[in-house]
Amino acid sequence: MPAWLDTHGISLLNGLAIGSLLFILAVGLSLIFGMMDVLNLAHGVLFLTGAYVAWWIAGEAPSWPGFLGALAIAGAIGALAGTGLALVIERLARRSHLDQALLTLGLALIAGDALSAVFGNDVHTINPPAGLDGSVLVFGKAYPVYRLALIGLGAGLAAVVHLVVERTPLGALVRATVADRHMVLSAGVDDRKVKLVVFAVGSLLATTAGVLGAPVYGARPGLDGTVLILALVVVVIGGLGSVRGALVGALVIGEIESLGRALLSNLASFVLFGALAVVLVVRPRGLFGAATGARS
Amino acid sequence: MSNARITRRRLLSAMGVAGALAAMAGCRSHGDQAGGKRIKVGLVVPQSGVYATVGTDMQHGWELWLERHGGRLGKFEVTTVIADEGETPQTGVPAVQKLVQNDQVDVIVGIAASPVALGAQSIVAEAKKLLIVGNAGAGALTGGKNPYVWRTSFTNAQIAAAMGKHLAGHPDAGPVYVIAPDYKAGEEVIRGFKATFEAGGGKMAGEAKPAFAKTQDYQPFLTGIQASGARATFCFFAGAEAVAFVKQYAQFGLATQIPLYGTGFLTEASVMTAQGDAAIGIQTDLHYSTELDTPANKEFVAAWRAKFNAAPSVYSVQTWDAANVLGRALATATALDGDSLAKAMGAIGTIDDSPRGPWSFENQSPKQKFYLRKVEKRDTGYVNAVLADLGEFSPLP
Repeated sequence: MPAWLDTHGISLLNGLAIGSLLFILAVGLSLIFGMMDVLNLAHGVLFLTGAYVAWWIAGEAPSWPGFLGALAIAGAIGALAGTGLALVIERLARRSHLDQALLTLGLALIAGDALSAVFGNDVHTINPPAGLDGSVLVFGKAYPVYRLALIGLGAGLAAVVHLVVERTPLGALVRATVADRHMVLSAGVDDRKVKLVVFAVGSLLATTAGVLGAPVYGARPGLDGTVLILALVVVVIGGLGSVRGALVGALVIGEIESLGRALLSNLASFVLFGALAVVLVVRPRGLFGAATGARS
Repeated sequence: MSNARITRRRLLSAMGVAGALAAMAGCRSHGDQAGGKRIKVGLVVPQSGVYATVGTDMQHGWELWLERHGGRLGKFEVTTVIADEGETPQTGVPAVQKLVQNDQVDVIVGIAASPVALGAQSIVAEAKKLLIVGNAGAGALTGGKNPYVWRTSFTNAQIAAAMGKHLAGHPDAGPVYVIAPDYKAGEEVIRGFKATFEAGGGKMAGEAKPAFAKTQDYQPFLTGIQASGARATFCFFAGAEAVAFVKQYAQFGLATQIPLYGTGFLTEASVMTAQGDAAIGIQTDLHYSTELDTPANKEFVAAWRAKFNAAPSVYSVQTWDAANVLGRALATATALDGDSLAKAMGAIGTIDDSPRGPWSFENQSPKQKFYLRKVEKRDTGYVNAVLADLGEFSPLP
């Protein structure tokens, strides 16, 4: 066992770090879908916006004020964009879900091109802020400190989101809407405000993940599509509309991307979608999908 | 009365038409007087997508050559029509088709990506037009099958073979781990590297092929390299993947333990700037470096810096040379059709004034020198300092 840990401990740890980042990204996508039945395909471009904001505000070697400032500004942009998205989708409320998803896809394509026009086509990298930019020895191998910090941050955020959703009146309303929207409406609750809040917070988490992910993934054209697919796989595996599902799905995908690729290096290209296929065959609703109850 | 008005209107419109015709005729006769021979060149470079920065350097290389030669290739006045290659054959091949069919260009120059160049092969063959590829490195592109396709760049296996030979003969080189994306170019690089490396007595520590364009995190592969007992790593990555790989190679502590070698694109142009300090010390091989100490290169770099306020790249040199060889071919070609131009291209011999050093065509691709380069930080930024001349290599398919 220690020999196995010597070889693969780093991969196991890295799976947690990538999983934490994916959780921050995907939990918003999952909640928005649970609330509105809309797959927000602009989620990836929100992440990329956050990454570009990190590079633009904080620069390639960020100071702490720069990095925190980037987090604040990206968060504000995310909340605004989320509110705007919720409002335009609301206008298509009577149309099919496909139309609503297509609207988000169209906006994502426009926003992606706009980002290229503003920030150019170069690949940008961002170092972690001072103090987190080194490596420490774990299992006898160097591991970036920043990724360890991501694990802590992901765990903290998971706890906060869990408490808000499980222990607050707003959270109860969100859970109720996810479980049965029509019952909430007939109980006399105006769900539009809840939708706005969930969309704004979900998008804020996406841009935040973009800033936090910038030292790992950088900022470049095309990254929006890549992370959108990862986030979609996470919510499909975890089950749509479930916080717990997003957490477990993100950690599973993180481990598959790290440990899975290390163990099955010859099949590295296939393990991600192979795992998705297995989950879809065995549990089509995702690992925690059933718990969210009926959806229209 | 009404008859008169119609007549007057007709007269006016007739005068207008006549005036326009006269103006057009004037233009034409003016052009003829200016100096006879003209050639229309279609320049296909990526203006959008992930290769856009490569496309900019290619386009600038072409434009700088023309600017320094009075807008002419030899005796021919050049009209350039630019088309956007985009990222994939879905955008690049129609761009070539449009230049050939709608714009009726005489010659096509450019093309960054191999899939686009492979897709354009049949178009130029059917139209019997010369295509001078300015970057794509696929082995299958040249080598006798299609007489109209020439290139001023390299083949993927050629670059890797030069490094394979160097590392095999390296006095303190132990087993080498090879990593390249799992697509055609990656396979060609691994094959080219192994051919000369194993023939020279080199020993492989292992091999990995991460998914192309789908891998953001190389940690699993980096751990595999550490576990393999490799004494050096040879890799082939370009663009965003080169940035991610080099950064993570340093972050996970491999840079200080296992020296990183690669093909030149690993640390070329804007990629190197994005890698920052993580790139320092990496050794690559390529048929060009801005640091080459030759009069032709110094003049080229100075002209480039003066015009674009940046350092040129290998992509700049390749299209600069495309203009150079086309000018040389035009000097002896009997006509502008593909057959006449291809014949003239074959008779060019050694190109002795290129920034990359002397080279010649072999199987329609450059037989050229490769240089061992090492990334160094200078006051002006990061550069690929030239360590050694690895000798001349034929274009391997």
